Amino acid sequence: MGQQVPAKRRVIFHIDMNCFYASVEMAYNPKLKGKPLAIAGNPEERKGIVVTSSYEARKYGVKTTMNLWEARKKCPGLIAMRPNFERYRMASKEIFKMLSEITPLVQPVSIDEGYMDVTDAKEFANPIELAHHLQQKISEELDLPCSIGIAPNKFLAKMASDMKKPMGITVLRKRELPKVLWPLPIDDMYGIGGKTAEKLKSYDIHTIGDLALKDVYQLKQVLGINGERLKNRANGIDDRPVDPDAVHDFKSIGSSQTLSHDTTNEKEIQTLMNQLAENVERRVKRKQAAGCNVQLMIRYHDRKTITRSRKLQTYIEKKEDILQIAMDLLDKHWNLEPIRLLGITLQDVDEKRNIGQQLDLFTYEREASKEQLHLAIEALSAKYGKNPFKQLSADNEAKSSEIARTSFQKDFLDDYKR
Amino acid sequence: MKFIIQRDQLIASVQDVMKAISSRTVIPILSGMKIEAKPDGITLTGSDSDISIESYIPAEENEMVHIEQIEPGSIVLQAKYFPDIVRKLPEKTVEIEADDQSQITIRSGKAKFSLNGLDAEEYPQLPRLQTEDSFEMPGDLLKSMIKQTGFAVSTMETRPILTGVHLKLDDNKLTFTATDSHRLASREVPVEAENTSFTGVVVPGKSLSELNKILADTEDKVEINVTNNQILFRTKRIQFLSRLLDGNYPETSRLIPEQSKTVLHVKTKELLSTIDRASLLAKDERNNVVRLTTQENQVVEITGNSPEVGTVTEDVAISSLEGEDLKISFSSKYMMDALRAIEYDEVKIDFTGAMRPFIIRPADGDPVLQLILPVRTY
Repeated sequence: MGQQVPAKRRVIFHIDMNCFYASVEMAYNPKLKGKPLAIAGNPEERKGIVVTSSYEARKYGVKTTMNLWEARKKCPGLIAMRPNFERYRMASKEIFKMLSEITPLVQPVSIDEGYMDVTDAKEFANPIELAHHLQQKISEELDLPCSIGIAPNKFLAKMASDMKKPMGITVLRKRELPKVLWPLPIDDMYGIGGKTAEKLKSYDIHTIGDLALKDVYQLKQVLGINGERLKNRANGIDDRPVDPDAVHDFKSIGSSQTLSHDTTNEKEIQTLMNQLAENVERRVKRKQAAGCNVQLMIRYHDRKTITRSRKLQTYIEKKEDILQIAMDLLDKHWNLEPIRLLGITLQDVDEKRNIGQQLDLFTYEREASKEQLHLAIEALSAKYGKNPFKQLSADNEAKSSEIARTSFQKDFLDDYKR
Repeated sequence: MKFIIQRDQLIASVQDVMKAISSRTVIPILSGMKIEAKPDGITLTGSDSDISIESYIPAEENEMVHIEQIEPGSIVLQAKYFPDIVRKLPEKTVEIEADDQSQITIRSGKAKFSLNGLDAEEYPQLPRLQTEDSFEMPGDLLKSMIKQTGFAVSTMETRPILTGVHLKLDDNKLTFTATDSHRLASREVPVEAENTSFTGVVVPGKSLSELNKILADTEDKVEINVTNNQILFRTKRIQFLSRLLDGNYPETSRLIPEQSKTVLHVKTKELLSTIDRASLLAKDERNNVVRLTTQENQVVEITGNSPEVGTVTEDVAISSLEGEDLKISFSSKYMMDALRAIEYDEVKIDFTGAMRPFIIRPADGDPVLQLILPVRTY
């Protein structure tokens, strides 16, 4: 009888920075330490929404996405600051640099969290020691707290990092699931949003354990193919690899903004639309991408939200094109009620090098004049593999200034890769 | 106003006029349909600000009586409900009556609808065009010109002028040209128009596509009349008025290459179905790009590939191939649109290099031209 070789057990870390924005501010200005601090969209205006708050503020009931005035009511001594994205970006870059010194298998998921596969990181006696070392290093060098979850897969690692905050290190073993994970309410399970939770509760699934033991067939009836996946997760099964390149799979690029007051003023709306399209264009350019589907999101005064999109025949990247379609969608679908938030997203996005460039009748001469050059590059590429020449992008210089203005979490991840 | 009309006559006219009526209109009354009864017949009118359509039903035609008991008058009724009402009425005839209070009664068999109408005086006067400076052409030929060019107009409003078809009449030749800047379609036909010529007339692509739906596919003449800002197409029963697009249409003729480096003759249908298959893997993705590569022995290879899905390769036998070897990528959709529009068994394709437009024409030299810009792959 052949002995079965056990599949190699993986060791996955999930690193979760605690109150990231607030912690970075405290690291910059230690006087803020121990005080209730909120980072909010725009403290002067009503639309100021709490993005992050310190634990001291959370004690008073301040929560993320809460209106600033509401937060102030709960916590009168609250210090509110505008976000300082450049600082967060830099801190994030440093953190991910530290992580990648340990293993190349680092997958950032947002500015302040990421996974590591440390199965083969042998410098330390055991993963727990490694986690301590990492946590200490981030704390000493950057003065930032983090929690680390250690588990055999991504899902469990994520759940584990959530269990002890701040500065926690939690190991979640598969055999402990019934004791540690299953009693948790279903809302606490990563991957289950409000709507899904409601649905599950109506089927008498209230804890993660309920889900783990539910019949797959019934789950599929309620949640479709997702049902089985979620049940597997609840049972500690998740074989997704830690993929360092995952951040580059972007399918959409969007920008949205809350207005300072609910409005039906077309000029204001037009101005905001213009701004959003500009944001999208800037980010599309950064990624040297283009997309062929434009989505418009309208949130009304009563929080009712609609999204409408249009599929295009050609890929677009320019602001005018994006705006044109978005305005068209607005004309068609806006019911003229006061608008609270607008968002424009370019979807079905791909990098330009995958798409090919559709030449234009009025400008093709410019490209065609370089044809010999392209032929030569193609021949050399065929010989040496990947294009041996690097395109000097004209907007390289523009980039450094863009960084300061762009506030989107996903863009941070590109920086880390560059 | 009162009359009794054959229902099928009314249905046909209502359908035509509805093409110009939009429920979202700046002038509220334009969401309605105007009905005007005169002793010789009735006229239905619909309009948005871009196009206006009048459909006339004569009381009598070829000894057939369409309308009886006409009491002249006019009324505007809500277009939203009218087509369905007329279509579902039980009998072959319909009686329509409007009183002084703009109340409309529609009767057919035992069914009776009472509708609130609007005073026809409120309906805007449609401009009357001078009819001296006009020319005629067969309706089916006009339809074919629209079909061969209209699909190539731009759907993007970023260059509004490109959303229209450019019309030129010169030296008894009428030319339609449309381009979205990625492809261009053009068709020229001889017409009898001794005293008429114009250039720089750009008709919205949407207007022409509506016109195409309304025109019968017969040789019946269509009279065409152009002024500064409007164009009128007139048949026995229909007047179709469209605004023209403002602005200068780009000069396209000089952008069309005159020489070619590679010339291909190929059966339209075979190339079309090969490209159709090759595009299957790239559907809706990445511009639907396919690649054409010339091979030896009178064969070209068409390939399609989608990194996530796979690749497809197919050889097409060609009638003849002259000139340089070529590797070129292009949108399969544009190619299929062009090949379908050509309406001829064999096409001649002129290439001038992988980065320059190529031209597809019927092999017999008929003056239809389809031009496509290639895709540069990285």
